[in-house]
Amino acid sequence: MAATAETVKELEKKQEWWWAAEKKRSRRLDYLRKAMWKKGAIGGLYPAGLQIDLERPVMQTEKAKELESSADPYVIKFAKMLAHVLDNKTIFITDRSQLVGYLGSAPNMITWDPTLAAILNHEVFNDPDSLPQPLDESLKVIRDVTNYWGGKSDLDKILPHMDLGDVMKVLSGAIGWGVPLGRGGYSGKDYEYIMTGVRAFEDIIEELDRRIDEADARSHRFDASREISDLIDKINNWEAMKITLEAGIRHARRYARLARIIAENFESDAVRREELVRVAETCERVPAKPPRTLQESLQYDLFIQLFSRNEAIEGAWPARPDFYHGPYYERDVNIRKTLTREEALDLVGEFLIRAAEVSQYKPKWAREGLQGIEGTWVWTLGGVKKDGSDACNGMTIALLQAARLVRVANPTFAFRWHPKVSDEVMRECFECIRQGLGYPSMRNDPVLVANAMHWHGHPIEEARLWVHQACMSPSPATKHGFQPMRMANATANCAKIIEYVFTSGYDHVVNLQIGAETPPVETLETYEQFFDAWVTQMKTIFTILVRPVNRARILAPKLTPRPFLSAVSERSVESGLDVLEPSISRGNAWITAFTWVENIDSLAAVKKLVFEEKKYTMAELKEALLNNWEGREEMRLDFVRNAPKWGNDDDYVDSIMLDCLKAASEFSHEIKCPSGNNWPILPENVSGNIHYANIVGALPNGRRLGDALYDGGISPGPGLDKKGPTAVLKSCSKIDHVTNGRAFLLNQRLSPTQLSGEKGYQLWKTYMKTWADLGIDHVQFNCVSDETLRSAQRDPEKYQEVIVRVAGYSAHFVDISRKTQDNIIQRTVQGL
Amino acid sequence: MATCSECKKFFPLEEDRKRGDCVQRVIDPRQAYYQAKPVTADKDAAKCPSFEKR
Ligand code: SF4
Repeated sequence: MAATAETVKELEKKQEWWWAAEKKRSRRLDYLRKAMWKKGAIGGLYPAGLQIDLERPVMQTEKAKELESSADPYVIKFAKMLAHVLDNKTIFITDRSQLVGYLGSAPNMITWDPTLAAILNHEVFNDPDSLPQPLDESLKVIRDVTNYWGGKSDLDKILPHMDLGDVMKVLSGAIGWGVPLGRGGYSGKDYEYIMTGVRAFEDIIEELDRRIDEADARSHRFDASREISDLIDKINNWEAMKITLEAGIRHARRYARLARIIAENFESDAVRREELVRVAETCERVPAKPPRTLQESLQYDLFIQLFSRNEAIEGAWPARPDFYHGPYYERDVNIRKTLTREEALDLVGEFLIRAAEVSQYKPKWAREGLQGIEGTWVWTLGGVKKDGSDACNGMTIALLQAARLVRVANPTFAFRWHPKVSDEVMRECFECIRQGLGYPSMRNDPVLVANAMHWHGHPIEEARLWVHQACMSPSPATKHGFQPMRMANATANCAKIIEYVFTSGYDHVVNLQIGAETPPVETLETYEQFFDAWVTQMKTIFTILVRPVNRARILAPKLTPRPFLSAVSERSVESGLDVLEPSISRGNAWITAFTWVENIDSLAAVKKLVFEEKKYTMAELKEALLNNWEGREEMRLDFVRNAPKWGNDDDYVDSIMLDCLKAASEFSHEIKCPSGNNWPILPENVSGNIHYANIVGALPNGRRLGDALYDGGISPGPGLDKKGPTAVLKSCSKIDHVTNGRAFLLNQRLSPTQLSGEKGYQLWKTYMKTWADLGIDHVQFNCVSDETLRSAQRDPEKYQEVIVRVAGYSAHFVDISRKTQDNIIQRTVQGL
Repeated sequence: MATCSECKKFFPLEEDRKRGDCVQRVIDPRQAYYQAKPVTADKDAAKCPSFEKR
């Protein structure tokens, strides 16, 4: 875009990074960025102009009805439904775009999958503002679709096989954030199988044909056994995989045809005509055959992601784009020089935009929890190769630069730091942070590789190929390593652990006995007894959450299979088993521990003020909490001000953190996933600290019902870290980041003024060295001043593009609730 | 009865001219694009507001 260097410089000096980016990016990127419909819900509601797409549910329903009388097994029927959608949905190509593909029938459409859960379908009725006009017609279509899928959705199918007591407690919304469904949540991908350029869909189809022929021949010999009987299921699975791959190839070719029609009939600009022909050639090539260029590689990846999201709701996007697209970038930009760096940046920037616009209709509780974004799409950059050498490449830098140009809030990046990362790459990471993107978050690779080996027994070569499964958890993108469903549907609202110690497990917010019936808290005579009750409640909550997920995973291969994901996974192509089958997966589950640190500060307050100083009796405290501290403000402030708080390098309270983590990690080795592996905890919050504000009762750390909870997995409470950034790091370093849990989220706020210039970079680098030396696995930064954030609250129209780090993800500041905005402003700005 | 085959926006498949795509230009509040939707050549176009005689 034509802008004097001066103007850009001035804007950057004023830290108006979003306006500077607008002036720096190419005309194409500027058009495509502004053309994008932001999909993240605001306060649980979709922004004006977005609509729920009814095309897909109608297609799925008509195909399901047509297949009712067919003798096909469910997995094949399901594959045919998917193929029907890919063959018939409306497709489009946006002006100036070079990458194509979208889930919905138009850019402002949010796709709704009615096959997942009747409860989700009923929510569509309550979203009239997001329904296409005329409303009466839409409601009629929704009624027909919803009626058809009532009793037939995935959740309907699995519920009769579940422990309903557990399910009811999970669905109460008090202790968990997720629904135990195989196709609900997200899935990792076997990138080592599908993204290394060795094979693509046609190669896999060839292999499937061979396996089907062999199995067919084998199953018709003079022989009978369990193994031969099982071949029938395997053949069906392979057939279903093949149907989805063939549909994927046809779908891509529909784009190729449209691109050619536009080029030949409508486009008058010769340059654009050439681009359209290239789009056509790209979609004729991939996903049928392996990519040869950066454009083909990005398009191939995009198709795979979209097909997977046609098959399941995916609220995360595990990816390692620099690692898998890097070789193509290198070849096109540096070796063959068929692309200039600027042309490559255009493609990479557009890739981010194509991802940012993806949307799937989600239940309101999920939309409320994911304020301002569609899901936690945290893409992994950096890290090491299988042999331990540095994996950073030109594409790493291109992605970090493109992110600053397009400034989308989702996807975000997480950078796998290790000692061999070059200064050039570190500077690019820093620029993104300094420019207020809130990403990349920084991950300590050596610690996390060791952690993956410790908790799940990944061999070192596998562990080194990890990607972020969602915000935080490492999961290798390998044959046995990747996780095919959201095992973190076992996400725990941990503040309930301490709350239930005071209520003997009764939840006064949802009026249900959820926790364990531990003895009345006023009868506990020692801190040790009190802590034992805490451990019992912790084990109870974790167990209630894990059991339904385990059960759903066991039921999934038969009842809720994923033929497309299976088709792009070596373990399924090889075995003929659905990708969700636990026996072919190493198992990589974790319990996301929302609202964890409240436990630590609460235990410390009780230990000090009740058991040691005896300033208050337990009965008094219990009553104060049940009454939400009403009439006891002075007492409440005593619990806030005069009890030690986590994050100040104070061994009194830090040792309580270690006791809690020790108890949780011991229990993590006792509870097992269906693959036989462990369930470590992972303290982080997404934006559960706000979502649960009205669900968690008053707590001994002085918090009242309705107050925001702490924002990070191991971040100190906002404003409670009074001793500076090194004290925070020292507290965090007392945790063993390998054996105490799966990962630990740490939010820090830094001053943009302090980070300016070369001096700012050197300060940050020193901070990062301390962080790395202390063995902390994660840190992420907000680097936007209070002044800018307050201005954005007053004048949101003017500050539409300001991005902040919420928890494990970034969002546009204006798209998050006032409560979350205030919570971010309250966080301590650390002077380095 | 007018059918899609008589419409400017109908683009038949080479391998089966009875089927094809209805290709239309769309301009929404944010972006402009071309969309394609599969249709059959003999689809009734009488009620289609976008019908344009070839
Ligand atoms: S515009 Fe209407 S008549 Fe023309 S091809 Fe499309 S659907 Fe048929």
